Amino acid sequence: MHRNRAANVRMNRSLLTGLALLLAVPMTNTAASSEVPTLVARVASGDLPALAQRLPEQPAIANFDSPELQVGEYGGELRLLMAKAKDIRMMMVYGYARLVAYDPKFALQPDILERIEIDENRVFTMHLRRGHRWSDGYPFTSEAFRYYWDDVANNPDLSPHGPSKVLMVGGEAPQVEFPDAFTVRYSWSKPNPYFLPALAGARPLFIYRAGHYLQQFHRRYADPAKLQELVTEAGTRDWIGLHLRRDHQYKFDNPNLPTLQPWVNTTESPSERFIFERNPYYHRVDSKARQLPYIDRVVVNIVSSSLVPAKTGAGDSDLQARYLRLDNYTFLKAGEQRNDYSVRLWNKAIGAQIALFPNLNSSDPVWRKLARDVRFRRALSLAIHRREVNQVVYFGMALESNNTVLPSGPLYKPEYQKKWAEFDLEHANRLLDEIGLTKRDKRGVRLRPDGKPMEVTVHSAGESTEETDVLELIHDSWLKAGIKLYTRASQREVFRNRVFSGEAMMSVWSGLSNGVPTADMSPEELAPTAQDQLQWPQWGQFFQTGGHAGEAPDMPSAMRLAELNVLWRSAPSAHEREEIWHEMLAIHADQVLSIGVVCGVNQPVVVSNRLQNVPVQGWYNWDPGSYFGLYKPDMFWFNGSGRGG
Amino acid sequence: MLGYVVRRVLLMVPTVLAISAIVFVIIQLPPGDYLESHIAELRSQGESVDLEKIEFLRSRYGLDKPVYEQYFFWVLGMFQGNFGFSFEYDLPVTEVVGDRMFLTIIISTVTILFTWIIAFPIGVYSATHQYSWGDYGLTLLGFIGLATPNFLLALVMLYLANVYFDTSIGGLMEPAYIDQPWSWGKVVSVLEHLWIPVIVIGTSGTAGMIRRLRANLLDELQKQYVITGRAKGLPRLKLLTKYPLRMSLNFFIADIGSILPSVISGAEITAVVLSLPTTGPMLLGALQSQDMYLAGSFLMFLASLTVVGVLVSDLCLAMLDPRIRLQGTVTR
Repeated sequence: MHRNRAANVRMNRSLLTGLALLLAVPMTNTAASSEVPTLVARVASGDLPALAQRLPEQPAIANFDSPELQVGEYGGELRLLMAKAKDIRMMMVYGYARLVAYDPKFALQPDILERIEIDENRVFTMHLRRGHRWSDGYPFTSEAFRYYWDDVANNPDLSPHGPSKVLMVGGEAPQVEFPDAFTVRYSWSKPNPYFLPALAGARPLFIYRAGHYLQQFHRRYADPAKLQELVTEAGTRDWIGLHLRRDHQYKFDNPNLPTLQPWVNTTESPSERFIFERNPYYHRVDSKARQLPYIDRVVVNIVSSSLVPAKTGAGDSDLQARYLRLDNYTFLKAGEQRNDYSVRLWNKAIGAQIALFPNLNSSDPVWRKLARDVRFRRALSLAIHRREVNQVVYFGMALESNNTVLPSGPLYKPEYQKKWAEFDLEHANRLLDEIGLTKRDKRGVRLRPDGKPMEVTVHSAGESTEETDVLELIHDSWLKAGIKLYTRASQREVFRNRVFSGEAMMSVWSGLSNGVPTADMSPEELAPTAQDQLQWPQWGQFFQTGGHAGEAPDMPSAMRLAELNVLWRSAPSAHEREEIWHEMLAIHADQVLSIGVVCGVNQPVVVSNRLQNVPVQGWYNWDPGSYFGLYKPDMFWFNGSGRGG
Repeated sequence: MLGYVVRRVLLMVPTVLAISAIVFVIIQLPPGDYLESHIAELRSQGESVDLEKIEFLRSRYGLDKPVYEQYFFWVLGMFQGNFGFSFEYDLPVTEVVGDRMFLTIIISTVTILFTWIIAFPIGVYSATHQYSWGDYGLTLLGFIGLATPNFLLALVMLYLANVYFDTSIGGLMEPAYIDQPWSWGKVVSVLEHLWIPVIVIGTSGTAGMIRRLRANLLDELQKQYVITGRAKGLPRLKLLTKYPLRMSLNFFIADIGSILPSVISGAEITAVVLSLPTTGPMLLGALQSQDMYLAGSFLMFLASLTVVGVLVSDLCLAMLDPRIRLQGTVTR
């Protein structure tokens, strides 16, 4: 029956297209004038329909309101450097065509969708753009959503665990309807505040699939004999493996998979060089109604990550931030003149560049008791000389701060940043004396209640010398408070396992992944919600598994945070959500549940001087932000001759 | 002779099997599996992962099965020519290795030739002019090549080539030629890039070869037949090339065993620094991400080549040098 519906839709569309063709004939002259230059030949040869038939009836119109942005010219080739073949998924991140997407002010706007109606954060009615097409020219309709929902998300073979967790509100699946070819409705009985941010994510929740292409690999649609042939040819175990492999929407490594992104992959993996060509059916236009993207092709060269700074400095990349670090800054700056690029410093949105996490679930009972004593955590924070760290390691360019929201975010309050974060050894020593850690050994190191010296081993994932440099400095100031710090570098998985098992007393990592949240974004990072949270892995696991594993929190502040996180989900108004956020942030600042050191360390971004519309100042963040995606790379363009072309 | 060959070939079977077990165990030794290192890598970039999806993949990849079962699955597959599946690339191993093998063989062959061309005359010269200025000077040069860290030399040469010759940094050709059919321009571009890895990898190999040739040749030069030859009035060069030089070449043949695998694997670390499209960086990446079938199959391939290479060199030695007899192994 679904098949019939799909067929009907297809028929209707072809009828419509036919009509549109008839109607469009007198318009060809005007349309041709704004045709993409590199596509003119293909249109003339009949290989591609004219622009008017390739665009949706209501295309998305790019916003050039900012004075920094100019309407551009077509052409050019954007060169990027990546370190692994599988990094081409970054093109899915940078391309950033999403059902709804963040604008540069982090507000959600419909993008692929023409509009969306939201009822109590419970019922989401999505309206597609009429005439919108996949990159292969096939109409993009609600059928794509149906294929995902019926044949992928709810197919026991392809998704044995059912639809993605974001779609389950308290274990309840949404009701999904497709009233017509251009409308999709998701509804729950309770609010689902995670839904839209998931659709707009850097790694988005794809609730649509190119069903017309994937059908040939699906047991329900494909002819069994032919499917078996395809399976044998591809060397997969069964059709499930084949369907999964062809359906790498995020990985972007299947050149045959239709997409909605501005550039389409044309290179099979593995390769050393991936070429992304413009999507002739892309749905966005500039203010002169010319189809985006401006840039014809994106070339991703794969080189080893250690060579990326050197190659960027030699002018081999037009837009590069990945694999560049702040300590490459001077080297990159030196090449600016010779290779005609500029190095910009963008803001990273993580809450702390370096943060220490006392393990509240440590398996050492004496340490656990101390770590759960707020006076002890405060003393540790007070005994860190953040200014010194900033000057020595970050050229004084960072911000000395707790692990909290950043000053540029809407929820920022100075006390979140400063509370218990000033360097005050006297106060720290007084607090430690107050706890009763008054005895010291010959070195001046305090003795724990069980008589052992107060030696704290901080575990690190051993990936950057930056962490060890900072810890070295903290070691010196902590020693003045009678605490001896040891660093233990291991490997990432070992690190995670040690924290989780409680073997690690303390660990070092970066802080909050989103330091500029709005009250409408989930505060789950602040509450025990996941096993990979370094200060309370057991409590996190408890909530993640719905109480099946891990331990229930028994510390009042953590319990309150968990409670607030649940309250936020059902909070009816923006105001209440903001209140909840502030209470959670205040608890973190006062209780020092993680010890932030510095934040606001910048990300160097190398931009070719010919590349326009890339902001001078910007956010470089994974989610929300999608790195460059936030600034819509389809609007970037090359001034003058452009590159190669 | 035939019996000897058959025995050796039969002996290779348990050897290769033992190697396969060791390879598999060593790859499994680091904690975690491919999916865990994959998750950790995503997390370090700020990406999140759906744990249920990971569980699903784990059972699809068979990583939830006991280790011995995974091992037998892999070994049995290899006997049928199925080298398994690379998780990282989501492709059969053979497809992943693909073109890289060809470029690796080119680089390695040129490098080996380069090493021979440099080392051979120097070795002969050093031996015949023992303790002369030339001997000391050239030996010093060889040792400097051995002592300079390859990656350092590689970086310096990359930088110089980029600044003075405008050669693109890293890789084996201008990016524009990658994945393009072979053309004159592409060949020139490869040649422009090829000399750096050849010199970097080659210099480290010359010293060893110079010393071995020198030592072997010196041994021979002391022998009585050389004195006899000289007394008979043979010309110096003819005497040298006809007798002692030939005698001292045994190590050359014995080297085949180690040359074969190195032709295929390339110099891993140098290749990573230079970002060469060879098999070395791929193997390293596979080991790091615990992409076990890719790494395992590749190591197995190298090990088998070593085993075959050793056999070939033993047979060649026995054929070429009548002094080498088989009795040692037969009468035991």
